[in-house]
Amino acid sequence: MSPDSPPSVKVTTGSGKARWARLGRRLGARVLTGVVMVLAVATLTFFLVHSMPGNPIQTEYQTLIARGVSPSLAAQQVAGMYGFVSSKPLIDQYGQYMWHLLQFNLGKSITASGEPVVHLVLSAAPWTIIPVLSGLIVSFLLGVSLGAVAAVRRTNRLGKVLSVSGSLFHGVPQFVWAVMLAYLFTTLLPIFPFGSPYNILDTPGWNGPFILSLVYSAILPVLAYALSSYGGWLLTMRSSVVTVLGDDFVLAAELRGLRPLTQLRYVARNAFLPLFTTLLLSVGFMFGGSIFIEEVFDYPGLGYQLVNAVNARDYPLMSGDFLFITVAVIAANILADFLYTFIDPRVRKAA
Amino acid sequence: MRTNSASLSSPTATTAQSVTVPGEVPGAEIRGLKVVFQTPAGPMPAVNDVDLDLPLGTITGLVGESGSGKSTLALAMMNAVPKPGHIAAGSIRLPSVTDMTRLQGKALRLARGTALGYVFQASQNSLNPLKRIGAQLLDLGRAHGMEDKGALLRHARELCERMGLDPVRTLSAYQHELSGGMRQRVGIVFALILNPSVLVLDEPTTALDMISQRTVLDIIRYVQRERHLATLIITHDIAIVADLADYLVVMYGGRVVEKGPTRHVLQRAAHPYTEGLIAAIPRISGDIDRAQPLPGRPPDLLSIPRQGCVFRERCAFAIDQCSVQTPGLMPVRVTRRHDALEEDSALLDGQVAACHVRAPAPSAKVST
Repeated sequence: MSPDSPPSVKVTTGSGKARWARLGRRLGARVLTGVVMVLAVATLTFFLVHSMPGNPIQTEYQTLIARGVSPSLAAQQVAGMYGFVSSKPLIDQYGQYMWHLLQFNLGKSITASGEPVVHLVLSAAPWTIIPVLSGLIVSFLLGVSLGAVAAVRRTNRLGKVLSVSGSLFHGVPQFVWAVMLAYLFTTLLPIFPFGSPYNILDTPGWNGPFILSLVYSAILPVLAYALSSYGGWLLTMRSSVVTVLGDDFVLAAELRGLRPLTQLRYVARNAFLPLFTTLLLSVGFMFGGSIFIEEVFDYPGLGYQLVNAVNARDYPLMSGDFLFITVAVIAANILADFLYTFIDPRVRKAA
Repeated sequence: MRTNSASLSSPTATTAQSVTVPGEVPGAEIRGLKVVFQTPAGPMPAVNDVDLDLPLGTITGLVGESGSGKSTLALAMMNAVPKPGHIAAGSIRLPSVTDMTRLQGKALRLARGTALGYVFQASQNSLNPLKRIGAQLLDLGRAHGMEDKGALLRHARELCERMGLDPVRTLSAYQHELSGGMRQRVGIVFALILNPSVLVLDEPTTALDMISQRTVLDIIRYVQRERHLATLIITHDIAIVADLADYLVVMYGGRVVEKGPTRHVLQRAAHPYTEGLIAAIPRISGDIDRAQPLPGRPPDLLSIPRQGCVFRERCAFAIDQCSVQTPGLMPVRVTRRHDALEEDSALLDGQVAACHVRAPAPSAKVST
C-alpha cells in the first residue's frame, strides 16, 4: 500500500491559540470594513434626506394651517423651531454632522423640540423589538419545522397542504394580516386589547401586571408578523431539505443503518445552512421596524418614528433612524459571516 | 484461490438445491431475485430472476452497461430498492441474515452495515460534510449498539492504517479535506468497521485517477483475503475486475446472461454480449480502433423485451427462437477438435450462459 502523500489533507485545527488569533484578525478586518460602509451610507443618507422637497418649518406651518390654526398663530408657533434648523450651507452642515457622528452624537430632533436623536431612537427600539423580534422567532421556528415536515412528506397530502399554506401565507401582505387580525379579535370578537401596547392603567416598569399586559397586547402584532413571514421560511426550508435529501450522504447514512434520529440531525443541520444567513439578515432588517404592524397596533416603534420623521422633514431624526438600520444590517452581516465559519467547516479553510 | 466449483449457483433452472463444495461457506445466496418498478406503463422488471452466490473468500465481479440492473441488484441486497421499485420475488441469504428481503424496520436497519458492508457508487460524497469522520464513525457504531467507543476507535485507526491512511489525521478530518482516493478508502473503512462478512462495492473506481484506482483495487484484494470476505464488485468496466475477481457475472437488461470463473469467461466468452464487452476494451498497445464498440443501445426499463432474449436486438447471432423463448442459464460447452475426425465437447467448470445459440439447452439442440 502506498502511503498517501499528505498535501491534500489540510488539518484545520492547528494550535487553538493560532486559530483564535486568525479568527480575531479576520473579525477585526470585517468590522473595519463595516465602519467604512456605515460612514459611506451616512454620507449618502445625509444628502438624500436634505434633498427631499420641502423643509421642516414649511411642513409644520402647513400642518398647522391644515388644522385650522390661523396663519399668524402658526407663524408664531413655527418660529420656535428656527433654533433647531441650521441655516448654514449644506456642506458645512455635513461636516458638522459627520464630526458629531464620530462622537456618537446624532444631533437633536427638530420636531421633538431639541430632544437628542439618540434618545428618541433608543426609546423607540423596544417597541419594534417586542413585536417584530418575537414575530420573527415564532415565524422562523414554525416555518422551519413545518418546512422540514413538508419536505419529508412532500408526496402525501400533509406535505402538499403545508406547501400550499406556505405560498398562500407568503402571498398575503403584512398589513392585510394586521388589519384582519385587529378586526377579527378586537372588534368582531373583542378578546384582545387595541390601541396601546400595554394596559395604560398599569404603571410601566418591572412589575407583574405591566409585563403581563405587555405580553397580552403583543399577541396580535406578533401573530400578524409571524403569519406574514412564516410562509417564506417554510418554503425556503422545504426546498433546502428537499435538496439535502437528494444528497448522496443521506442515502449512505440510511444504508449504513444509522439511527433515524441521527439521520434527521444530519439532514437538518445541512438544510439549515442556507437559512442561517437569511435569519441573521432578517434580524438586522428588523430594526427598520414593521411600519404596518406598528401603525395598526399603535406601537411607537422605529418604523412608526421613521414615517413621522419623514413626513415632518425632521432631518436629524431621519438620518438617525436610517443610520440605526444601516448599522444593524451591517452588523448582522458581519456576525453571519463570522458565525458561519463555526457551523460550516468548509468555509473555515478560506479564513 | 480459484475453486472452480459449481458454487456460482447451479447451472440449470432448478436452483433450489444449489451445490456448495464442502468446506466452502456461502457468503451470500441470492435466489430468484426480481425487482419491479411501478411505472405509469405498468410494472417493469429492473432485475429479473437473478441467482447469485458469493462464496466467502472470493471476489465476484458484476459487469454490465448502465441500466443493466447491476446497481439495483446491489441496492436490493440491502433491501433498499428506491421507490417506486420493490422486491417482487426471491430471497437474499447472508451469513447472519436468513432473508434480507423479509427484514423491515429496526431489524433491517441493524442488518445494514453489520451483515453487509456497502461502498457507495458516490463514495466521494458519502459522508456528512459538516461532521468529522471520526465522529461519524462513532455515530455508526452507536447506531449498531457498540457502546465501547475506545474499541471502535482502535478498530477504526487500525483499518485506516490498513488503507494507507494516517489514522489521526483522517479521523479528525472533514470530508472536503480528503482527496478522491482517500474518500473512497474512507468509504471502505465505513463499510468494514462493523465487521460484515459480505462487502459490496458499487463502481469503486469511478472518478478516480489511474494511480488511485490501482491503490483502491489493491486494498480490495488485500482486505478480502485478510478478512475472508465475500466481495462483490459492481462495474461497467470489465478491465477493472479482469485480474481481481475470481468469478465474473455479466448482466444485461436486468438478467444475468453469463457467469463463471473469470478466466474462463474472459477467454471463452459464450454469450455474444460478453464477447462484445471484451471486444470493447481498448488495448494498451496497437490501434485504438481495435476496440470495437458494441452496436446499439442498452435497453431501458420500458424497452426491455418481456419475452425472449433481452439481448436479441443487438445480437448478430439471433435466431427465431430468441424472440420467443427466454433462454435460461445453461452450462457452456466447448468443442475440442482433436483432428479432422474426432471431436468432443466438454463442460467448462461452472461457466453458464443464457443463450439459445451458444449454450443451448440439452433437449433443444440448435445447430449453429
